[in-house]
Amino acid sequence: MPDFTLLSDQSILLIQIAAALFVAAFLSFIYVALTTIQSILKLRKNAGPDTDNLLVCDVAYFHCRGNRENQEDSVYISHLEDANTNGVIAACSDGMGGLLYGEVVSQYVVERLSEAYPMKFDDQEGISETIRKISAEVYEQYRLGAGATLVMTHILKNKMNFYSVGDSNIILIRKGRATLLNPKQNYVSLLIRKLAEGGNDTTEAYRNSRAKALIDFVGNIETNVIHTSKPIQLYEDDIIVVSTDGVTDAISLHRMSNILLPDYGAKQLARIMKSGVKNKKLPKQDNFSAVIIKMDRSLI
Amino acid sequence: MIEYHTFKHSGDSDSYKDEVYLTVVPSVTVAVFYGSALKSQSKVSPQMFSGLLAEVSKDSDFIRMCEVLDNRLPGNAEYLVLRIEGNQIACFRRGGVSAKIVINGDLRLLPNGIFGLNTGDRILVATDNFYSCLSDEGILADALVTDSCTEWMNLLVRRISDVNQLKCGNLSAVTLLVR
Repeated sequence: MPDFTLLSDQSILLIQIAAALFVAAFLSFIYVALTTIQSILKLRKNAGPDTDNLLVCDVAYFHCRGNRENQEDSVYISHLEDANTNGVIAACSDGMGGLLYGEVVSQYVVERLSEAYPMKFDDQEGISETIRKISAEVYEQYRLGAGATLVMTHILKNKMNFYSVGDSNIILIRKGRATLLNPKQNYVSLLIRKLAEGGNDTTEAYRNSRAKALIDFVGNIETNVIHTSKPIQLYEDDIIVVSTDGVTDAISLHRMSNILLPDYGAKQLARIMKSGVKNKKLPKQDNFSAVIIKMDRSLI
Repeated sequence: MIEYHTFKHSGDSDSYKDEVYLTVVPSVTVAVFYGSALKSQSKVSPQMFSGLLAEVSKDSDFIRMCEVLDNRLPGNAEYLVLRIEGNQIACFRRGGVSAKIVINGDLRLLPNGIFGLNTGDRILVATDNFYSCLSDEGILADALVTDSCTEWMNLLVRRISDVNQLKCGNLSAVTLLVR
């Protein structure tokens, strides 16, 4: 223990003042540091679109066989380590039931997409052309004897383009509401248009036995690739689901928005969704595959 | 150049009580009147709205035109008027009719006032009943995947149809695209 008895009273007083000042300065420093950290966190939370380019993709997927003999779904996710420069591509392809080689075609589609990676984010026309080429190759091989659907998202930072052929799904869940983004290319669309133009209601369209028949698919002649001409702005906590119709047959969009909450990470969301489909126990459950992307804010 | 597509549907109602008014000369003026939201004994009818608009839309001053409409229509009349001149759009709305514009991959509500327009801008004008079955994300996605106003409208109608088979009262909307 130091012996202060030899010091004068004045020196002891000075040491006490210095110690008090040090403690005050230290506490002030802690206070300022905490306030600054709090402000930064608040600023990030309330940040507008300008700072949303700090978003990163948290990605997970499942790929399951329903009550079918073959797994006709195929899934592709691009290399996540290249996400900052080339973006993240997620795709699902569903081999068409009723036609032969559905499994082979969907696998071929995703393999050809992976070969085409990296793709230029702003070249929506070029990417669509790539998909049309893949479709033409399938047509050349099978002459309408086989086909597949394709849904694909391309996310770079806080922007997303999407591409769709057929009737698979790209769903955006934002603020507790799930919206199907891509229009489905099935026969009911044509019937609805006709009935609406005539001033009628459209009940009849959904009753038509061919309502769900595809009017376009990968492997068709001159496939029409639906794609965004400009990207969609994404926000923190957005959840994007790229899936085959085996998922949406079992879980409605409304249910999806109730069970897929932004508090969870992509892995947890995928788990919830997968068990949601399984628990439904549909006797004719189609194969079901999905890529789930959760938009998180980057800490860097 | 402004491309447009109008949609008028009585839904499951006996008659169509809304009104969509559109002129392109001397400037593009678009108006949607929400007549189906009015009570049956209302003093204003769709025909009266169109007549009044035809009379006042010749006025080159948009604000003055809106003042006249505001004064001469009963307080419960709900409507929206847009005028597009050069690279500017002016908007005036009262009640349950609104316009939404696609900007930078997002959909925003067009408030009352005068704003700049760019080539490729897309605008949807519709009644609250039309919007009730749509989400902003759906409207936006449909706008971004289509090349024309007609295609955009068809996709929006399909979305409404998927919810209620168009059995939902009067539906009125206009899609606009700046070429």
